[in-house]
Amino acid sequence: MGIKTVPRHGSSFKEKTYLWAVFSGMKTTLKKFTTNLSDTNCIPTCEYPEAQPEDISDRYRGMHRLTHRDDDSVRCVACFMCATACPADCIFIEAEERMDGVDEKQPKSFDIDLLECIFCGYCVEACPCDAIRMDTGIFSIVARQREDFILNKEQLLNNRGAFGQENALA
Amino acid sequence: MHYFMIILPILLTSLFTLATIPILVWMERRVAALIQDRLGPNRCNIKGVRLGGIIQPLADMLKLLFKEEFYPAHIKHKFYYILAPAIVFASSFLSFMVIPYADDITLNGFTYHIQALPIELGVLWVFAIAGLGVYGIIIAGWASHNKYSILGALRASSQVISYEIAMGLAIVSMLISYNSISLNDMVQFQGHLIFGFIPAWGIIIQPLAGLIFIVTAFAETNRAPFDAAEGESEIVAGYHTEYSAMKFALFFMGEYIAMSAASALIVTIFFGGYQIPWLNTQTLQNHMNLIVLLLMVAIPLLALGFISWMNFNNSCSPEHQRETRFATIFMTVFIIILECFLFYLLTSGMSREGNAVFIMIMQIASFAIKIMLMNFIFVWVRWTFPRFRYDQTQHLGWRILLPLALFNIFITAIVVVVGGF
Repeated sequence: MGIKTVPRHGSSFKEKTYLWAVFSGMKTTLKKFTTNLSDTNCIPTCEYPEAQPEDISDRYRGMHRLTHRDDDSVRCVACFMCATACPADCIFIEAEERMDGVDEKQPKSFDIDLLECIFCGYCVEACPCDAIRMDTGIFSIVARQREDFILNKEQLLNNRGAFGQENALA
Repeated sequence: MHYFMIILPILLTSLFTLATIPILVWMERRVAALIQDRLGPNRCNIKGVRLGGIIQPLADMLKLLFKEEFYPAHIKHKFYYILAPAIVFASSFLSFMVIPYADDITLNGFTYHIQALPIELGVLWVFAIAGLGVYGIIIAGWASHNKYSILGALRASSQVISYEIAMGLAIVSMLISYNSISLNDMVQFQGHLIFGFIPAWGIIIQPLAGLIFIVTAFAETNRAPFDAAEGESEIVAGYHTEYSAMKFALFFMGEYIAMSAASALIVTIFFGGYQIPWLNTQTLQNHMNLIVLLLMVAIPLLALGFISWMNFNNSCSPEHQRETRFATIFMTVFIIILECFLFYLLTSGMSREGNAVFIMIMQIASFAIKIMLMNFIFVWVRWTFPRFRYDQTQHLGWRILLPLALFNIFITAIVVVVGGF
């Protein structure tokens, strides 16, 4: 094992006066300022409400949705796996028997409180049927009242996937 | 006319202090944004007119004005609590009073000083008043009855006291050079040329004193990199932790006026004050027609540059395009009127009085441009450097700047005595 000698900086007269470092720092910021002022297109900021972000990837966790079967009925079987996995306790499911013979159970009501939700995606991972997803690409969630932030089953079913996979894979 | 000329400098003082606050706040935020690759506030508008975001500070001010006057329950001395921001605001305002905005002007046999307070004390007045500002900070820290506030006040006061010494000594060497304490005399001195081609500005005669003065001026205004007094990471907001609404706004505005006053002082002592480089009052008087002709060429060129910049950078949406068109028309009309006026001046030939008034306007404009550039440097420095640690601040003040300033006085005195200037 060799010993690496690290050179110590800050002992020469030029460095001790600080002025060179001061002026070079000011040069850097001035360069930034002048390039950005002469052409504001250099600035990576996007003017948000008019210009929407274009770099939302397929894995982005946006607002939730409930997926559909091929016959457009709800895929969820009300197994409560997502509600159990949820660390924020924001999923409220009420189950009922499914009478059309496709499956045994379905949710009577399926509510998600978006104000409680922390968008961790555990519900998506827990779901055995690929029935809940967060691939709507909706990142801006606004409402006028607290009650409006609670999504019910119909709203969740009406949300559509943003990245091409409309129907569930499983 | 007589009364107007007496009131004019007072009007100018309020213009340079109160009216520049929104511009300074705007400049601070936009420059900071551009340095950090952001856009800064540009949304606030009145009927679609945004003026590049300059409406935002006005909206902020309105918000602070209409906020509730809240007094924390633990405050025992309400009088001092309210007095403190008023002192900070008033003292920074008053220190502006002795700055000359233009050369003395003679109209109809009267000589007017374009100084709000035409006294010969000059520098001494500035020091006396600027030193008072720290009382506001101390009282604020004490009356707030909060340990963070008192720590901030202690830091601010000890910093101001230790930097005032180096600042005063830097000024002493300038007084030796200029041989006067009147700011107007200093500026008149700076209208000369050294060797016939270098303007005799303070920064050129005394670069070391200039550097010390600028650094200490930054410390005196409690601005970055010397703003340990309001170090958010350690002591919340320092002395104004307990203040809200208009009382906070007074501290805030006081800080910006203090910055403006420091800029005015730096410009007056070291950067030629109202003097236009290479063109002192006498030269301006002798070459009036040439100057007017130059202005007639330069102003439209500058406006053209600005309009093309605006068209390039402010046309991403229909509203922006509409605003750009509006501004272009407005500027064109303004420039045409200005050109007509200048042409009239050029052809009709000016009287002595008209000449003097024109020179005064040019000098005030020159001073305004210089002070804005200096304010830009204040902002630029703030967004470049990290905050000094408190002991580093004191080390710099006492161990480096003070001996340097003393050394500079000796050298200056020796040169003046031996050289016999």
